[in-house]
Amino acid sequence: MGILKGALSVRRYRVIGEVPEGFRDLWIDTLNSHQFREPQSSTHKGEVVGWAQAHNLLDTDFTDLNQWLYDRYAYFALRVDKKAVPAKLLRAHLQKRLEAWCKANNRPKAPAAVREELKETLEMELLQKCLPRVQTWEVLWNVNDGWAVFTNDAELPNERFQKLFLRTFGLRAVPWSPLDELTGTEGLAEAVAAAGTTDLRGRGA
Amino acid sequence: MSDEGIDEGSRRDGATELLPPHVSADFYLWLWWKSEEENGKFAIDDGRGGVEVYIDDRIALRSTGEERPSAVLTGESPATTPEARAAVAGGKVPRDIRLYVRRDDRDYHVTLRGTRVSIAQAKLPAQVKSGDVAEVLYDRMFLYEELHWIVACLLRAFAAVRVTAAWREDLVPRMARWATLDEARAGG
Repeated sequence: MGILKGALSVRRYRVIGEVPEGFRDLWIDTLNSHQFREPQSSTHKGEVVGWAQAHNLLDTDFTDLNQWLYDRYAYFALRVDKKAVPAKLLRAHLQKRLEAWCKANNRPKAPAAVREELKETLEMELLQKCLPRVQTWEVLWNVNDGWAVFTNDAELPNERFQKLFLRTFGLRAVPWSPLDELTGTEGLAEAVAAAGTTDLRGRGA
Repeated sequence: MSDEGIDEGSRRDGATELLPPHVSADFYLWLWWKSEEENGKFAIDDGRGGVEVYIDDRIALRSTGEERPSAVLTGESPATTPEARAAVAGGKVPRDIRLYVRRDDRDYHVTLRGTRVSIAQAKLPAQVKSGDVAEVLYDRMFLYEELHWIVACLLRAFAAVRVTAAWREDLVPRMARWATLDEARAGG
């Protein structure tokens, strides 16, 4: 579902700023420097964000232009990975560890410091076994005409897209609704805004 | 501007920020009414006879001042049901509408969603079903651009009439009669 097939749900952007001369070669480097990278540690907890090929989220090298640049269209994907231990599973394992600790130490309750240490150790162990939640959304950028689409309309993924786009290309991606087309006629958007609310209640009789 | 964050100007710009939420509701209502009033015929500035637009198989309504839909009507031609009209006559306004759009021999199905008039679940005509990536990409983007342009044309046509006195004096009473089914009773 997305740019190449299926139903298309996108947020559209204007891309503000000058595209530099020789952008093709320049962007190979800049996309590669902001490519998605697997975290060094298998117990990394936070989000990892970067660009990947739209065709396969495991391909994160942009050296081959033919894989992501089609005439005036740059086509790639935002990949966001996040590892998290399911809270219920962590609680259940922790309860077992605490019970074992109390029995081994002949104590009715584990002190807070022990509890914290056991929890931390357990979380690291479980993170090593967890696969990350992987999300990707496609980006299609018409470089000549200065617009782009992002295949998600929710706020958070769009904020991540805008941030990484700015960091990568030094260009601002500004949301562009069909409503913005009204600004092409001077004063029209202002006049519509000032026209007030339409209420059909009680008008039909 | 920090390279870590996005400023307010990047979040919103142009008319999206300027226009209050009722503008999209008025636009959807006008599309709905006009598609029934004029059998789907909409004139646009293309010099080729315009487009056909009908409400498709889904319409979501919200109460004024609310964000979430309070009634969702689906199925075959839900917009023509007495329930849908009654909801509008009772003060509900459209929040999302699914449209069937035809231009020349190209058929589109698209949902216009929320106050931003977002293009969602756009089913594009199947011009190129397979082939190399570039061919499919160019073709689908041509179609997406055409759809975006049609929606923009419809919005401009709506805005042009919305700012005239005729909206309040002529169109609102006609839409109100349509919503309360008075026109149907008068006709038959």
